[in-house]
Amino acid sequence: MKVAVGVLGALVLAFLVVPVLSVIPMSFSSSMVFELIPSEPGFTQYRRFFASPEWMVALGRSVQVALGTTVLATALGTLAALGLSRIRSRWRPVLEAALISSRIVPSIVFAVAAYFVFSQVGLVGTILGLVLAHSVLAFPFVVVLVSTALAGFDRSLEEASRSLGAGPVRTFFRVTFPQIRLAVFGGALFAFNVSFDEVVVTLFISGVRSKTLPVKVWDAILYEITPILPAISTLIIAASVLLLTPLLLYRRRS
Amino acid sequence: MRGRRVDWALVVLLGPPLLFLLLLFAFPLLRVVWGSVFAPDFTLAFYQRMVAVPVYGRVFWITLKIGLLTTLFAALLGYPAAYFLASLSPRKRQALLLCVIVPFFLSVLVRNYVWMVLLQRTGLVNRTLLGWGVITRPLDLMYNELGVLIAMVNMLLPYMIFPVLSALLAIPPDLGHASASLGAGAFRTFWRVTLPLSLPGVAAGALLVFIVALGFFITPALLGGPKQMMISNLIEFSVRQVLNWPFAFALANTLLVGTLALYFVYVRLLEGRLPRTGLP
Repeated sequence: MKVAVGVLGALVLAFLVVPVLSVIPMSFSSSMVFELIPSEPGFTQYRRFFASPEWMVALGRSVQVALGTTVLATALGTLAALGLSRIRSRWRPVLEAALISSRIVPSIVFAVAAYFVFSQVGLVGTILGLVLAHSVLAFPFVVVLVSTALAGFDRSLEEASRSLGAGPVRTFFRVTFPQIRLAVFGGALFAFNVSFDEVVVTLFISGVRSKTLPVKVWDAILYEITPILPAISTLIIAASVLLLTPLLLYRRRS
Repeated sequence: MRGRRVDWALVVLLGPPLLFLLLLFAFPLLRVVWGSVFAPDFTLAFYQRMVAVPVYGRVFWITLKIGLLTTLFAALLGYPAAYFLASLSPRKRQALLLCVIVPFFLSVLVRNYVWMVLLQRTGLVNRTLLGWGVITRPLDLMYNELGVLIAMVNMLLPYMIFPVLSALLAIPPDLGHASASLGAGAFRTFWRVTLPLSLPGVAAGALLVFIVALGFFITPALLGGPKQMMISNLIEFSVRQVLNWPFAFALANTLLVGTLALYFVYVRLLEGRLPRTGLP
C-alpha cells in the first residue's frame, strides 16, 4: 500500500508542476503551431515581444502599477501589523479578520464593486485606480507576514529604548524595524507579485486606456491565439519565481 | 496617562490602513449590497429574477455542481499527495513541498492558458494520444465541463494538500506502531487510525476548495463552454455586456453572502481543532 500511495502521490505532485512548466520549451518555438519540443529552437517569440511597442507599453504599465502597489501595500500592511501587535483584547481576532478580509471575498465581487465606485470618481483607466485596487488585494499578505515576525519580537526591547530617551519614531527605526526587516521585505515582494499577476479586478477597472500585461494577455487569449503567448507566459512565470525565491530561502532558514 | 499614550499610537498605526480599507473595500462592497435592493426605490425584483428565470437558476446549479465535483476530485487526489508527503523525511518533504507551493503563487491566468494549449483539439494531449495510436480522433477536452474540472482541480489542490498534510503530521507516530503491534495490517491501521484522525484536515481542505471554487471566473471563461457559465461569469456578463447593474449587484451580493457564510462555518467548526495551514 505504501508503494501504491507513493506512486499516486508523486503523480499528483507532477500534475501540479509539469503542465505549468511545459510552456517553457514551447516558448522557444519559431513556428506558428505549438510544439512541445521546438523543431527550430530560438528566441523569435521573445524578440517579437520586446520589439512590440504595444506589449512594451503594457509591460511598463504593469511594472509601474506593481511598484506603486508595493509601496502602498507594504506601508499600510506594516502599520496595520504593528497596530495589531499592540492589541491584547478580545477584539484582536475581529480586527485581524477585517484586515485580511479582502482575501476571502471573491475577486469578481470586489471587481464589480470597485468598477462601479471608481467609475463615479474617475478612477477607472488610471494608474492610481489600479494601484489602489491592487493594494486592497495585496496588503493582507504584508499584514500576515509582518504579524508573524512581530509575534516573535521581544516587546521589552522597545520599552528599554523608550526609557533610554528615544522617541517612538527613533525607537521604530532603530529597534523594531531591524527585527522585522526581512518580513517587510518579503511582504513587499508578495505585494509586487500579487499586483503583477492580477487579472480579474484589472479587467474591469483598467478600461481601454490602461491595459496591464495580464489584461493584454487575456485579450490575446480570447481574440487571437498567437505563438507569442508562451514566451510572455514564461516571462511572467520567471518574474514570479524570481520574486518568490528570496521568500522561500528565508522560510528555509527560519 | 500611559493608557492614553498607547491609544494615540494605535490611532496612528491602525488609522491609515483601516481608513484605506473602509474607503476602498468596505464602501464599494456596501454599495453593491445597497444597489441590489435600491434601484432607486426599495425592490427585491432583481433577486426574484434570479430565482424565477430558469436560465439563471441553472447558472447557480452549475456553479454548485462544478464546485462540488472540484472538491471531490481535489480530495481524491490531494489525500494521497499529502499522505505521500507526510511519509517522507522532513528534508525531502521540504523539497517536494515546493511542487505544491510554487505553482500556487504563479499567475492564475498563465496556468489557465497553459491548460488551453494542452487540452485544445490540436493540443499536446490530443497529439500525443493520436501519436501513440490510443485514439483515432481528437478528444474534446475543453470548452466543456471536463476542461473546467481539470484546470480547477489543478489550481485548487494546494488548498486541500496543506490542511490534510498538517492533520497527518499531527498524528503521533506511536499510534501507528501501537496499532501494528496489536496485529493490525498496514491497510487496517490506515483505515482505523490514520484516516479518522486526518478527517478534520480533509473537511477543512474540502470547505476551502469549495469556497474558492464558487468564485472562480477565469477558468470557466477560458476552458468552459456556454454550458459552464458560473456565477462569476454571469456577473461579468451582466455588467459588461448587458449593463444591468442592479442585477449584477444582486448576483454579486448572493455570491458574497454565500462565501462569507461558508467561511464563517469554516472558522467556527475547524479553527482550533487544526494546526495552522501555513498559508497566508
